[in-house]
Amino acid sequence: MRKLVLAVAGAAALGLGAAWAQEASQPLPDEHWSFDGIFGTYDRAELQRGFQVYTQVCAACHALEHLLYADLGGPNGLGYSEAEVKAIAAQAQVTDGPNDQGEMFQRPGRPSDPFARPFANDKAARAANNGALPPDLSLIVKAREGGPQYVYGVLTGYREPPPGVKMGQGMNYNLQFPGHQIAMPQPLRDDSVTYADGTKATLQQEAHDVVAFLTWASEPTMEPRKRTGVKVFLFLLVATVCAYVVKRRIWASVH
Amino acid sequence: MGAIGTVSALWPFFASLSPARDTIAAGAPIDVDVSTIKPGQQITVVWRGHPIFILHRTPDELKMLQEAKDTGLLRDPDSQQPQQPSYAANWHRSLKPEHLVLIGVCTHLGCIPRLEAAPGGDLGANWPGGYFCPCHGSKYDLAGRVFNGVPAPLNLPVPPYNYIKDNLMRVGENPPGINFEISEIEQI
Amino acid sequence: MAAPVKQNKLIRWIDHRLPVFTLMEHELNEYPTPKNLNYWWNFGSLAGIMLVIMIFTGVFLAMAYTPQKDLAFDSVERIMREVNYGWLMRYIHMNGASFFFIVTYIHIFRGLYYGSYKTPRELLWMLGVVILLLMMATAFMGYVLPWGQMSYWGATVITNLFSAVPVVGNAIVTWLWGGFVVDNPTLNRFFALHYLLPFVIVGVVMLHLAALHQHGSNNPLGIDRKGPQDSIPFHPYYTIKDLFGLGVFLLFYAAFVFFWPNLLGDPANYIPANPLQTPPEIVPEWYFLPFYAILRSVPNKLLGVVMMFGSIFILFLLPWLDTSRVRSATFRPIYKWFFFVLIVDCVALGIVGAHRPEGIWVVIGRIATAYYYFHFLLMMPFVGWFERPRPLPTSISSAVLKGGGRLAGAGATMEKP
Repeated sequence: MRKLVLAVAGAAALGLGAAWAQEASQPLPDEHWSFDGIFGTYDRAELQRGFQVYTQVCAACHALEHLLYADLGGPNGLGYSEAEVKAIAAQAQVTDGPNDQGEMFQRPGRPSDPFARPFANDKAARAANNGALPPDLSLIVKAREGGPQYVYGVLTGYREPPPGVKMGQGMNYNLQFPGHQIAMPQPLRDDSVTYADGTKATLQQEAHDVVAFLTWASEPTMEPRKRTGVKVFLFLLVATVCAYVVKRRIWASVH
Repeated sequence: MGAIGTVSALWPFFASLSPARDTIAAGAPIDVDVSTIKPGQQITVVWRGHPIFILHRTPDELKMLQEAKDTGLLRDPDSQQPQQPSYAANWHRSLKPEHLVLIGVCTHLGCIPRLEAAPGGDLGANWPGGYFCPCHGSKYDLAGRVFNGVPAPLNLPVPPYNYIKDNLMRVGENPPGINFEISEIEQI
Repeated sequence: MAAPVKQNKLIRWIDHRLPVFTLMEHELNEYPTPKNLNYWWNFGSLAGIMLVIMIFTGVFLAMAYTPQKDLAFDSVERIMREVNYGWLMRYIHMNGASFFFIVTYIHIFRGLYYGSYKTPRELLWMLGVVILLLMMATAFMGYVLPWGQMSYWGATVITNLFSAVPVVGNAIVTWLWGGFVVDNPTLNRFFALHYLLPFVIVGVVMLHLAALHQHGSNNPLGIDRKGPQDSIPFHPYYTIKDLFGLGVFLLFYAAFVFFWPNLLGDPANYIPANPLQTPPEIVPEWYFLPFYAILRSVPNKLLGVVMMFGSIFILFLLPWLDTSRVRSATFRPIYKWFFFVLIVDCVALGIVGAHRPEGIWVVIGRIATAYYYFHFLLMMPFVGWFERPRPLPTSISSAVLKGGGRLAGAGATMEKP
């Protein structure tokens, strides 16, 4: 039945042409994630690979405004030690100051610094990107309908525009993106990065890893949340059963 | 006596919620050089937090506006409703026919309409070109006049503005001798 | 709890000067409650508990939140990421709004079904409607505080409704905003009011309870208590029953807070507010959707606003619109069906509110809006006149003894014997 509906919908979309197709939303991919479900957790190796993809590819245009380098460490982090976090932070140049001469100066980053931003402000970002603003990525997974599936769909959804589709200037064809015209050129391809842990860097692998990383960036407190949730749920279950038993006993005399 | 005292005592609290002096100062008029806007092009400037559209209309578009008056498609083709200063209550809803100045806020529920100047396209074969509001589908022509059968009740508002030089527009200030307050606009 | 109270010397000393213990004894232990209340009567106390949860989490969130337009969004994210258990407090508060409305709506529909608004409980009902209005104002302003896209544009759309007022509409809106658009002054005052109003709600809830305790709870049979055989003390019978209900409720609530915290929210509110870009679609939170649907179903803007607010204000008149003298719908064969249609109608309005007003949705929205008003303005008075109610039991205890509790319809069958 579902297949039939999809087939009919597909035929209709083709038949009614580009204008209508813009309205019809693309089905989301069906990727499986380590953080799915109420017991799901982040896979630290995956997150670190995703962080590598972010640093080497995405960070050229996209900021992670709400993250500090310190967030990479600790129990909710990516599994880096304190020394590793320090080293990662130190790779960034941060403007600080004013110093005693009243001047701003550059220094290596510290764990307490927010992630370095690729552009000084939104105007600079637009100027460098043909008028389009690369969105901040720290909440991208929570800020899009479909969450990780949608972001994965965009990253793997680049295609040649079908014949007859007129593309805007500087736009790229993307199956997942609403309207199919996206200003961002295809960011990931096979072997865009060379993974430190030797994992084969296919487009799908890179997209999967970076989406996992971005999901973590959107909600670094997901693991304690689910852990606490399971405990709270079990406690409430026992407490409710107890309350029910007591209630039955107290009310026994009334009926 | 008691009532006078109570109302007087409450007045400062009530009035404190009105725009503060610095807020009003920040709403002072702004100057815009319109010589850089090419025919068919629109720029958006911000005045009092509202997006102000300044559109340079082509002769073809102006011709269409004159014809549109009698088609019966527009709700208020002659700008009868107080949505503009008196000097913009004409067929082109502006001081100079080519420059259209609008407060880019849909009169339905305050979203920002987008310019869809090209006729036809996604908005249907009989779309003459104009503004389309993505929130609830209100449509306006290239003079900001609202079409019939859309949720927006009124034409897009025209703010007070003036040319202080031939190509220098001042948004927020009337031409000399005219007194028009933005609060006279029925609805922004 | 109550029996040994008077024996303690300190308690006696305090009680002599400030009779709080006498009051508690009177309102909890001696307070006679109908013995046949079903589980639908749990939702009043659940709403009270939700109010406490919201105030408690809200006060702690306020300690880390910054009501300034450039910092508000970031401060909420800081609460989520850096503040210890900040995510927990925010998710409890955020989902709490939804669950507060769920229990309140069920509480209201329970009152509608069992005629709890009828004499002598008219003021009790009207105070409840005041609480609903205050809740809505509080929820609306609270949603603005994270200063996301939906916060900002929701605030713009809703405050703009007042511009429909003839002549002074625009002046009112400017006054509400404290500026020429929704801006920092608006955020500031919304925060101040969002913090204040819950305490006003607490005050009205006190009056609601005072009015409740004047004549006591209504019950599924809708008949008055005839004597002590119809009553049981509130404590321990209903304290334990409420406690059990609370446990079941918290299980649902916790599932959302811990496992699906963003399911009821809009993703667009994780994008910072941008006054120059409207989101593709502005949708209010689910608990406002039926009202939003009424607003959008009426072609005239002023009339739409009037009918939207009217849909709540009409509840103030309900005690006089309903002409039937029988309280419980259990004994009202015709009204009962209209009641269920009203529930379907409200759900339909909610679904319409979530869709763009195009095509079939406009038609459904208009029919559902018309039915809503038909229900209260025409059906209520007329059905009361021509409907022949089923015979009422002589007393609560006789109905309970005869197993007549079964008569009490869906509610009573929930009650385990």
